[in-house]
Amino acid sequence: MSEKKQQVSRRQFLNYTLTGVGGFMAAGMLAPMVRFAIDPVLQPAAQGNYQAVAQLDEITNEPQRFDWTMDQVDGWYESTVTKSAWVYRNDNDEIIALSPVCKHLGCFVSWAGSEDYPDQFFCPCHDGRYFKDGENVPGTPPAAPLDEYEFKTEEGTLYLGKAKPKGGVI
Amino acid sequence: MRWQEEDIDLYIGAKEYVDTLLIPLMPLSMDDKFDINKLTVQGELLTIFANEIEKQFKGRIFLMPTYNYMFNEESSLELTRLNNWVDKIEANPFKHIFLLTLDHQWKKHERDLAGNLLWFPAIQSGNVSSKESQVIIKDQINQLSELIRSYW
Repeated sequence: MSEKKQQVSRRQFLNYTLTGVGGFMAAGMLAPMVRFAIDPVLQPAAQGNYQAVAQLDEITNEPQRFDWTMDQVDGWYESTVTKSAWVYRNDNDEIIALSPVCKHLGCFVSWAGSEDYPDQFFCPCHDGRYFKDGENVPGTPPAAPLDEYEFKTEEGTLYLGKAKPKGGVI
Repeated sequence: MRWQEEDIDLYIGAKEYVDTLLIPLMPLSMDDKFDINKLTVQGELLTIFANEIEKQFKGRIFLMPTYNYMFNEESSLELTRLNNWVDKIEANPFKHIFLLTLDHQWKKHERDLAGNLLWFPAIQSGNVSSKESQVIIKDQINQLSELIRSYW
């Protein structure tokens, strides 16, 4: 009779319960921490905000302007914004996609926008100029090269992502 | 530049570069006598034009918030008020003042205005965001920006 009752001793019972409750509490603490720790790894996959902009065979050695629209939520404003890029192939056959926003005060630059400089980007506001590779022409108002878009190509289509400052030469 | 906190910060730091002021003039009315529909389409168009011009010339043009007034009111009153506006802001200093509108009534008073009036007729193809209108609007914007550049 006492043998049967001894199957779970008081000591064992307490051990099991304490381990169980302790484990539960530990899990309760660890789960959020682990989730927070791996969260950055999970994020970028959801944000790959690339937009189809042009067909690869449209892109020539001469910079061309491509426009596309995307939805943007900016604080209170939910809007469809039109973005633009100057896209061309350089001498090494690499695709270059430059942002048209002047680094001086934010006007729109255009390729060959001035008759005097047919092979430069020109800003109509204060005569800022950039070479074909986006570098600012020294002595003109802009102090930095044009931003360059991140891009990827898939099945003959060019996708553009975010515009990144090029940095480097002042 | 716009009447917005982040743009104003930029403006204060770069005042000498921003020498052009753009004021859109938009008539309002709730009176059934007038074609309210037409007025709203014109209002929308005016906003599109002003925004696009600002976007292209952000570094040199300051876009004022729209100047609103009642349609077909006694225009001499508005003339005085508008000129007053311009006088106050012009001192900032702005070298070029452009008044953008689709309301032809201003045309008659062009001489008395304290700025360059950019009046042009509205296209009447109905929906502003349809493909066809977009092409026309884009073309009009290009011509408008060329006109503004010719003043600089």
